[in-house]
Amino acid sequence: MSPTPPPRPPGFSRRTLLAASAAGLALLATGCSSPPADERERVTSEQADELAVQVAVQEALVSAFAAAGAADPALAAEVAELAAQADEQLTRLRAASPGTTASASSPAGAPPAGGARGWLREQIGATAASHATACLDQSGARAALLGSVAAGLRGHEARLA
Amino acid sequence: MADDGSGTGALDEGTENAALGEALAAEHAAVWGYGVVGAAVSEDAREVVVASEAVHRDVRDRVTALLSDRNAEVADAKGAYTLPFPVLSEVDAAALAVVLEDGVADAWVRVLDQAAERSTRELAVGVLTAAEVRAVGWRGAAGQAPVTSALPGLPPQ
Repeated sequence: MSPTPPPRPPGFSRRTLLAASAAGLALLATGCSSPPADERERVTSEQADELAVQVAVQEALVSAFAAAGAADPALAAEVAELAAQADEQLTRLRAASPGTTASASSPAGAPPAGGARGWLREQIGATAASHATACLDQSGARAALLGSVAAGLRGHEARLA
Repeated sequence: MADDGSGTGALDEGTENAALGEALAAEHAAVWGYGVVGAAVSEDAREVVVASEAVHRDVRDRVTALLSDRNAEVADAKGAYTLPFPVLSEVDAAALAVVLEDGVADAWVRVLDQAAERSTRELAVGVLTAAEVRAVGWRGAAGQAPVTSALPGLPPQ
């Protein structure tokens, strides 16, 4: 028979860390597509306009992935997961931006011959910077979403380094 | 958005401080956890571990000072923490580092969600971004795929 184990010390698993915040993040998981429920979800016209701008910025990045992939098929295969994640980010941004619909995205330009990878990395970095800056003048779930997307894109940038 | 219990649902210093308190707890855990990571990695990886731990110490101290200046509650580090899994190899250590950075990212997204001050959002997005960049490296070292995350700190939809 094994000895009685000592009491377990407090844990720091993600489950523990998340326990306190799970309720607060519940709405974030919905992409803020529900009508505003309280004061913190009120969005000013300036905030709505800025979020719409960020949707367009993300659309341009999605186009940049396509352009880079067309220019460099090997790169296309390498960044397929990143491109899918950029699409996922766009979906969440659109869901959080009232009245924003899919549009013909602004062309991101074309990568230079032989330099698709570096060009795409620059596009990702610029998009991340734009979202991070926009995050500062948002609040609540919109700030959380923009900050998360910006961080995710910096991870993409690091992956391509 | 979740009700913070304040009655108005508005973001204010109270909501912000509560979220910063959670972030501080995550930073305490990260500082402790990187000690475990450092003990299990090779000499080659130790420099990254030391740098990561130093960053979390800096953030911890910054948040502690911020909350103290506001006369808000400042939680101390716990005496010990339970590892989420045994750390018996370098791959385990990298996986633990992923857990630490993801936990920090979760907490700082929560700060973004609850913050009332622009300066706090600026701090939060910077810390969140750095955590995700470190996590990308650790996911690779842990053999996890994908190594990137579309929406770090946010629950899946």
